[in-house]
Amino acid sequence: MTMDLNRRQLLGLAGTLGGVAALSGCAGFSRPDTATGADELTFTTWGSDSELLGFEQAIAAFEESNPGAKVTLNVVPFAQMFENIDAQLQSGTAPDIFRVDYDNLGVYSGRGQLLDLGPYIDDAVGNQFTDQMWRAVQFDGAPYGVPHHTDTSTILYNKDAFAAAGITAVPDTLESAWTWEEFDQVATTLRGQLSDDRYPFAYNWQASGVTRWLSWLFQADGRFLADDLMTPAIDSAAGRAAVDFTKGFFPRRLVPENSSVKSSTFASDIFFSETSTMTFAGAFLLPDAAKLAPFEWGATFSPRNKRGGGDLGGNALVATSETTKPELAAEFLTFMTREETMFNFCVGASLLPTLKSLVGEDLPFAERGDLATYFVQQASNVRPDDAAQIASPAMAAINTVLSDELEQAFIGGQSTDDTIANITAGITEATSR
Amino acid sequence: MSAVAGAGTRSGRASRTGRRRRHSETLAGYSFLAPNLIILGLFLFIPVGWAAGISLQSTNGFGSGDFIGFENFARLARDPIFWQSAFNTALFTALIVPLSMGLGLGLAVLMNSVLPARGLFRTIIVLPMVISGVATALVGVLIFDQNNGVLNKLLKASGLGAIPWQSGGAAAFASVVLVTLWWRVGFNMIIYLAGLQGVEPELYESARIDGASSWKQFRYVTVPMVGPSTFFLLVMNVIYSFQVFDIVYVLTNGGPGYSTSVLVTYAYQNGFVTRDQGYAAAIGIVLLILTLAFTALQWRFSRTRDQVG
Repeated sequence: MTMDLNRRQLLGLAGTLGGVAALSGCAGFSRPDTATGADELTFTTWGSDSELLGFEQAIAAFEESNPGAKVTLNVVPFAQMFENIDAQLQSGTAPDIFRVDYDNLGVYSGRGQLLDLGPYIDDAVGNQFTDQMWRAVQFDGAPYGVPHHTDTSTILYNKDAFAAAGITAVPDTLESAWTWEEFDQVATTLRGQLSDDRYPFAYNWQASGVTRWLSWLFQADGRFLADDLMTPAIDSAAGRAAVDFTKGFFPRRLVPENSSVKSSTFASDIFFSETSTMTFAGAFLLPDAAKLAPFEWGATFSPRNKRGGGDLGGNALVATSETTKPELAAEFLTFMTREETMFNFCVGASLLPTLKSLVGEDLPFAERGDLATYFVQQASNVRPDDAAQIASPAMAAINTVLSDELEQAFIGGQSTDDTIANITAGITEATSR
Repeated sequence: MSAVAGAGTRSGRASRTGRRRRHSETLAGYSFLAPNLIILGLFLFIPVGWAAGISLQSTNGFGSGDFIGFENFARLARDPIFWQSAFNTALFTALIVPLSMGLGLGLAVLMNSVLPARGLFRTIIVLPMVISGVATALVGVLIFDQNNGVLNKLLKASGLGAIPWQSGGAAAFASVVLVTLWWRVGFNMIIYLAGLQGVEPELYESARIDGASSWKQFRYVTVPMVGPSTFFLLVMNVIYSFQVFDIVYVLTNGGPGYSTSVLVTYAYQNGFVTRDQGYAAAIGIVLLILTLAFTALQWRFSRTRDQVG
């Protein structure tokens, strides 16, 4: 019996030690992502195959031109990207560099999580970027990242469906883009021609794309934040015009009922399946459209109203404030936005450059390079003031407010006045947090 | 006296030996439990305590938050979206728990009988269970797409009108329930099947001799005999339903409006999108309290019912 007990004790002890050993092993989970070598950087990103290929090639070129330097690329799915980064920043295990969209950049820069690149980069670097893109990476006048690329939405249209509706020409210059009235007329004509289960267009504000609704607001010459970037400014004639105009798409069946801001169906899929004859889409969708749209299609510019306006797509590269190698990190970020590196990356991944010197260049995209000019010109409609609002630290919370309230306006029957009042209240709460 | 003393000494020694033995056994028991307790402590109890602490703070997702007492809970009480999400969660639970258990039991009885190719049928029913909830929901998106989904195409082809699965609140809720049932019924069936295989055939034989019909055999033999399985499934299904996230998030993202928003998707929205983590933690704590309360009630209520005979 004594032996028996001893054996139990022994097994129990072994179990305890085993558990402790297993948990010690778990410490590996919390290994900091910050590289420990003096010339080593860690870089976390998500990306399509062509984007990742572009990153790998750029990293190889950086390592070649900086002997001894090493950049470790961590690839994570987009859906988990910012949850991971948030957790890593909170636990002090963040990478040295990460990729971030302009909506989220302000969340990090405004909360002290990013490296102020001011002391590490030449003042002239900022002048190389287009004004709006350089503004998009700033907080309180300091640059917290480099604008790696941008993207914006134009209209892709089904040529056969347009011909069937008697629409034979579309605007081919930014200046001649449809006004809201002309766009509405085109959509109404299409509605009259299409069968009941097809629709004139779909707008790409689904999922995390609700920021794209702001293009309508900017086109109406409105803004959602005042100059102080804190006070709500959507309660205006422009704000009401934007809500009224876009809200009208649904009851008039100009867009499918299931294409509102919370829908799980993307506008591009609605277009590819020929349920809609137009879609608003970024340049990044050109390769998909070439593969998936079983019809002839072309591009034209987004509509304009008081002025032209577009969404601020694309991503920046940032360094974390806790990086132990700020000089190397800044050098890497500068390298990634050099003319040649940016050109190769943008051409490979069908994205738009942010350097002034590349804006007028031909971009030989692998798919439909002939349409690149529409996107490049459309991106010039984004103004530095628009970019400054989108770079607000409260943008993530404002997006939630927009998503909730626009959904109610579009398919919940909420009036324009209530929508504007609720968005105003939501922005006040978001900016005061 | 000395005999008594001797007996006392022997008794004392025996008592000390017994205590030592019990002590050793207790120690051994805890040693076996230790790995699990350490893991539970590190990955469950400490995070729950931490979340309770965060629920009393105002945070922006980074750095230390400001202590605000129960303000987040007071906000919850005033928040109509929270109440809508709580109602949706309760409705979802009220539908999913009985339907998944009822269908699971029915299928288990069927699969436990002499059915041709029952191995194949069992596999088909259990198959969704081995796929992740996200993948199941993605298949659901293909089925319930309002314009191009398989279901609406079938409905239109058969002359019935299309159903607004994505733009109608009630239809969207129904789509979430249907996809969840497809995913969960297999699990319920497996548990009931295991329970049924422990039921002695003699019980049915004697019931038949007593003239019991098939329904009466099911009602008075099968149902009571699978009582422990029912209790287990009741607890598991209620907990699952309270915590539903992946299917709702992928299939409807809580929409249209807030018609399919549930407590966990609302907590996720606040915690990881808006980064109002104190508020999200408060929702989590409310969910924890609700789950514990329901589980305790079920435990108490079921003690007299989960005993066979």
